[in-house]
Amino acid sequence: MPEPLGIHEHGYTCREIVDLAAEYVEGTLTANESTLFELHLNFCDGCLTFIDQIRDTARLAAHVAEHELPEPLRADLLQAFRDWTRA
Amino acid sequence: MKAYKFLAGDGTGSFSRHCWTLGEWVEADVDPCRAGVHACRPSDLPYWLGPALYEIELDGEIVETGLKVVASRGRLTRCISAWDDEAREAYSQMCIARAAELATSAADRLAKWAPPPTASAGGPALLGFIAARIAEELGGLDAYVDERARQADWLVDRLALT
Amino acid sequence: MTGADTEARVAGDDSALVARLRDGDERAFEEVVRSFYPSMLAVARGYTRTHAVADEVVQEAWVGVIKGLNRFEGRSSLRTWVLQIVANIARTRAVREARSVPFSTFDLDADQGEPAVEPERFRGPDDPYPGHWRSYPTDWRTLPEQRLVSTETLELVKHAIEELPESQKIVITLRDVVGCSAVEVCDALGVTAENQRVLLHRARARVRARLERHLDA
Repeated sequence: MPEPLGIHEHGYTCREIVDLAAEYVEGTLTANESTLFELHLNFCDGCLTFIDQIRDTARLAAHVAEHELPEPLRADLLQAFRDWTRA
Repeated sequence: MKAYKFLAGDGTGSFSRHCWTLGEWVEADVDPCRAGVHACRPSDLPYWLGPALYEIELDGEIVETGLKVVASRGRLTRCISAWDDEAREAYSQMCIARAAELATSAADRLAKWAPPPTASAGGPALLGFIAARIAEELGGLDAYVDERARQADWLVDRLALT
Repeated sequence: MTGADTEARVAGDDSALVARLRDGDERAFEEVVRSFYPSMLAVARGYTRTHAVADEVVQEAWVGVIKGLNRFEGRSSLRTWVLQIVANIARTRAVREARSVPFSTFDLDADQGEPAVEPERFRGPDDPYPGHWRSYPTDWRTLPEQRLVSTETLELVKHAIEELPESQKIVITLRDVVGCSAVEVCDALGVTAENQRVLLHRARARVRARLERHLDA
């Protein structure tokens, strides 16, 4: 991502913010980029909402039911474990 | 060091979502933009406008950066209640007026940039940005910074900040 | 709790668990097999055609884990180590079966430059504010609270994840559904932090878009 021109928050357009969102949420933007990113969020409700939505999406995904261990597999694995401990 | 801090309407940090309590010290490692207590000097105010404004006492390790201050300790000392709906509307209208003044001074070129008075619904932060951007179109980065400084002066005056 | 504290706690938990496993503690084994299944399955599914074959890979991986248990040094977390074994076995099997591995290097070229949001949502180059939103996304906080965390919405998220391209699905499942860290996912799958981030972002962006269509309706 190229450095935005100048030191001002409008260096990022909303399109760029949306693409940089991943790095912002992960905390991998540089200090300068982070400031510019947050300044943009401060005047742009659209991007602030977008970031919130990305976070909400991740939070909702955490509530998705995980696959359960099938019983036959559990039984086979336990048997393999017993065979190993007895060896 | 005395500084200022904008919070969301519910008293949480705009980006950290940390819940602030008046009078309570908050400690954090200083890592500008990523960690630490972030605050504004008067000149920084226009960039960080938010729903609620507080005076904050900063202590410990203090780092001043271009548009903010980051400290290892901070506590909110008082709510600046003068930053209310009326003040926000007045600020918005001030920015709309400035935007119109600047835009028309450039004849037709920037006519479509000037927001109408009804645009105050966009909020003070957005309108301050628009006014400063129009200034920049006319006079470059220096004009942008000057417009922001005018906005800061307006706030310091209106809110009676020392 | 800071990140460092959490890591220390996990490492502590890990060494206690490994000790119990080495002692032949069957309860501990069942616990870890159940708990690791979703992430192991996710990694295996990246290389297998069916869920059934993925289960076979998971089984083979556990045999490898059991045999290698005494050699585990704790340099990575137990789960990371186990997931690496799954990935290795899955890859070997795919190569042996002479099938092209769907995403052996998490090849990003397939959907190169996929934007997180469709370009039409933004103002064009002739606008005073090119690149800015035409209309803002809706704040989901203004919706009735039950709507966002409803069963209906969760089902939608689940389906949206299932329909993602494989590489995106694996990463979002490991990171968001299961809760693996970025480092763990990179270590287990052998991908760079950058690639992992891009895939996660695209995955979340697609699911977000599905959610938006559903919630705006």
